[in-house]
Amino acid sequence: MHLRCLIFSVWLGLIGGPVVTAATVVVVSSERSAAYLEAAEALVGELEKGGLPRQEVLHISAAEWSASGSLTPKLWVALGAQAADTLARAQLRTPVLVTLLPRVSFERSLRLIGRKSSPRFSALCLDQPLGRQLDLIRLALPEAHRIGVLWGPETKGQAPALKAAAMAKGLELVEADVGHDEALFPALKYALDGTDLLLALPDSRVYNSGSIQNILLASFRARVPMLAFSPAYVRAGALLAVYVTPAQIGRQAATMALTLLQGKSLPETPAYSRDFEVAVNEHVARSLGLTLDAHKVRQELRRIEGLP
Amino acid sequence: MNRSRLLIVLLGWNGLAAAQTPAALSEKDFLTDMPVVLSVSRLPQRLDEAPGAVTVIDRDMIRLSGARDVADLLRLVPGFQTSMAFEAVGPQASYHGAFGGLSNRIQVLVDGRTVYSPYFIGSVEGGLQTVALEDIERIEVLRGSNSAAYGARAFLGVVNIVTRDSADTVGTQVTVRAGENGIRDAGARIGWGSESSTFRLSFDRRADDGLQGSNGHNQVDRVNFRADLRPNAADEIQLRAGTLGITAGKGFPGNIDDPLRDARYGTGYLQFDWRRALAADQDLAFAYSHTEESFQDKFPYSLAPLGINDSIDVDTSGRASSDNLSLQHTWRQSPSLRLVWGGELRREGITSKPVYNTDATLITDFTRLFGNIEWRPAADLVVNAGAMAENSSVNGSSVSPRLMLNWHLADGQTLRVGASKANRPPSTYEKSADVRYYWNGQLLAITMQSSGTVQPETVLSSELGYLGVFPSLRLNLDVRVFHERINSFIRQLNATVPKDYGNSGDFSLQGLEYELKWQPWTGAQFRLSQAYIHSSVPDLGPHTDSGLALAAPRLASTIAYVQKLPGSLDFTLLHQDSGTMTLQGAGRDDQFAFTRTDVRLAKALRLGSKRAELALVVQNLASPYPDYAPSFAFQRRAFVTLQIEI
Repeated sequence: MHLRCLIFSVWLGLIGGPVVTAATVVVVSSERSAAYLEAAEALVGELEKGGLPRQEVLHISAAEWSASGSLTPKLWVALGAQAADTLARAQLRTPVLVTLLPRVSFERSLRLIGRKSSPRFSALCLDQPLGRQLDLIRLALPEAHRIGVLWGPETKGQAPALKAAAMAKGLELVEADVGHDEALFPALKYALDGTDLLLALPDSRVYNSGSIQNILLASFRARVPMLAFSPAYVRAGALLAVYVTPAQIGRQAATMALTLLQGKSLPETPAYSRDFEVAVNEHVARSLGLTLDAHKVRQELRRIEGLP
Repeated sequence: MNRSRLLIVLLGWNGLAAAQTPAALSEKDFLTDMPVVLSVSRLPQRLDEAPGAVTVIDRDMIRLSGARDVADLLRLVPGFQTSMAFEAVGPQASYHGAFGGLSNRIQVLVDGRTVYSPYFIGSVEGGLQTVALEDIERIEVLRGSNSAAYGARAFLGVVNIVTRDSADTVGTQVTVRAGENGIRDAGARIGWGSESSTFRLSFDRRADDGLQGSNGHNQVDRVNFRADLRPNAADEIQLRAGTLGITAGKGFPGNIDDPLRDARYGTGYLQFDWRRALAADQDLAFAYSHTEESFQDKFPYSLAPLGINDSIDVDTSGRASSDNLSLQHTWRQSPSLRLVWGGELRREGITSKPVYNTDATLITDFTRLFGNIEWRPAADLVVNAGAMAENSSVNGSSVSPRLMLNWHLADGQTLRVGASKANRPPSTYEKSADVRYYWNGQLLAITMQSSGTVQPETVLSSELGYLGVFPSLRLNLDVRVFHERINSFIRQLNATVPKDYGNSGDFSLQGLEYELKWQPWTGAQFRLSQAYIHSSVPDLGPHTDSGLALAAPRLASTIAYVQKLPGSLDFTLLHQDSGTMTLQGAGRDDQFAFTRTDVRLAKALRLGSKRAELALVVQNLASPYPDYAPSFAFQRRAFVTLQIEI
């Protein structure tokens, strides 16, 4: 155990501190890649600021979880879908906060064990609230009124909510379904026909590394810019994206953890990130004749949401 | 690998790619890097940053215009002259003057492939017919000399035809058209594919009875295939192949020099394009194309006037081919510096015993190096500096530089100033023609013998441009003031026997042209273009082959009014007013002015789940006007078009 803790500490770059003996919070990561480390480091740092010493936070990977049966923390934090599945299957008595994953992944974990979201198994999701995305559209492209949306099996459930939110903000949706067996093209053609923007909602059937080329090329040919959900899409050619960074997610998860450690409970329904970033592809913007300042747009969007 | 096997391989590939199933959504979809799709060369320059004046005719305008040919569409572009005659291969278009029966001082590209005719002195008539209008996404017309980027044929301008991506034409479309003057056009297009590869096959025919007074019946048959393959996000492969056949009536009844007959022109091409995104800021594009060209026009010429009871063949038949290989690197070194550079190898071969008096293939090899730097020294300033160095195995080397400065005066207001130099080497015919007539082994006449002394012609072009976008008025304005100094102009010397090609006196074309687009109310669009061109062509005497003077009219205007009406109706009114100009196929004594008015009324229909459009077009509502030659006239033509998307 001591050796493993040492390895984990080295992994987190915490060498030099005392070895963890009794962890208050155990962070289980799906993987050890950069994004998970960034989230974990932000989480540990924020917990430390909140008064929880680093030694009381243990960080292990999902693969290593089965060997850590003797751990009795006050909170489990899962980073990523795989870790969430692992902790869900374990049917733990201690509260679990799953984060750094999209809401559909969280719901999949819940289905695995036939449970519902509850203060004992709660989530902080990567997805951006629909209202925030619509506000961003109005801020960045005030002329845009017709919004194209491609619904896949994983997003279709959000259709009524988006429709209502869009109507409330004076936007019109042009929706097309991409089912399991349906081709992307007809739907894409429909969603780009006469629309002012393509709102990309994360659905692996619709948006994946195999389809992104076609979608971005078709939208660019149609001069319909894309609002995406990650900075990677912006680098690829989407006009802009609103997203939360792993560090932001880590910090907010820490805030939720501290609340729990202070005796309150986790939220019953999945939470969304309060903080967020906006990315703009300036080359695409220039080519489309648009001038967009990502920083300015983010500040305005934060003001709308009452953030400093 | 033959064509069909290649296709099968590609279709197999397509099947494999379609079988991939994405994993369920996870944080990976948010956190994983994506390949760069809209890489640097896929992001076109904005019009207000382009190194020259650009007119774009998009798919909507093509449809709304009622035009049946690309040449006819170019009437909308300020500074263009057009003819609908099929006397010289096909309908003609020229910018600031054709200076004769064949227009060979503009470049035409179809999806990046040069389509000028090596056989017909580098002229563009056949190339303009390459694809059906229904397959065109947009036509970008670069007004002004552009040899720095497009080579020698871009002497006065460039017509860049961009066909629709096959991903946008999945499904079936059928078009039929019939009307006055024997108009009988038909076309069918099928598109298929998956997310990783799409294909299109189009067949179409365009036929009518031609100009009044001419033996002008003509028929254009086309087959075009395009495949867009996206094996992964970094690579894009396009394959194109097609054929074009033009059969056109020529000659006059009872004229032994030019009797009634049909001439046949044909082309076939294969094109392979591969673009790889090396990084977000770097692209490499490789292209290869092969084009074949053939022409058959032969008639018996009676030797009775010579007292011989026999005839000889007057023959201008022959064939040509071209191979083009190019590599281009686009690099955005920083947000303020973008570089495009590359090289091109081109081989043209022409074979025609009757025209060159040899069975050998006359080969010209071109080697080109080109580069352009787009530099932003300040936020409101764009400098485009470029050049092309060209070596021709026949005509030697030349350099065509260009410098253009775009200054954004204010939001939506751009001033452009610049200069360029271009060289057009003489074509194979201009350099090496040798037309002889023999009877029983005895030389009867040499009618054309190029001495080969003709030198390249050059143009020094300077311009001042203004581009204004007024969103509140819904108005766009593009103005170009130009001065084009043409030196060593290549022309046919008719005073000599046999005829020869030589370089004549220098002259200038100067003037102003503008294009105004205005959407004053909902559903309305006005497009007004005007060109005022003053030419200082000296009087070259009565023996010039055709009128160089007034090759372009002093003043020409075109106005298009498009209105969306209730009930899914579209209305278009197009009026053209051209000042006096020399007809392309005539001499300096045949100068005419004309006006032409076209109307179009179309209704969008829904036939069950199918979309369709029914359109009535009347071209030239008023009386016939002379076109190409004084005895030919473009008469009224009313026709109906039905287009169904299945």
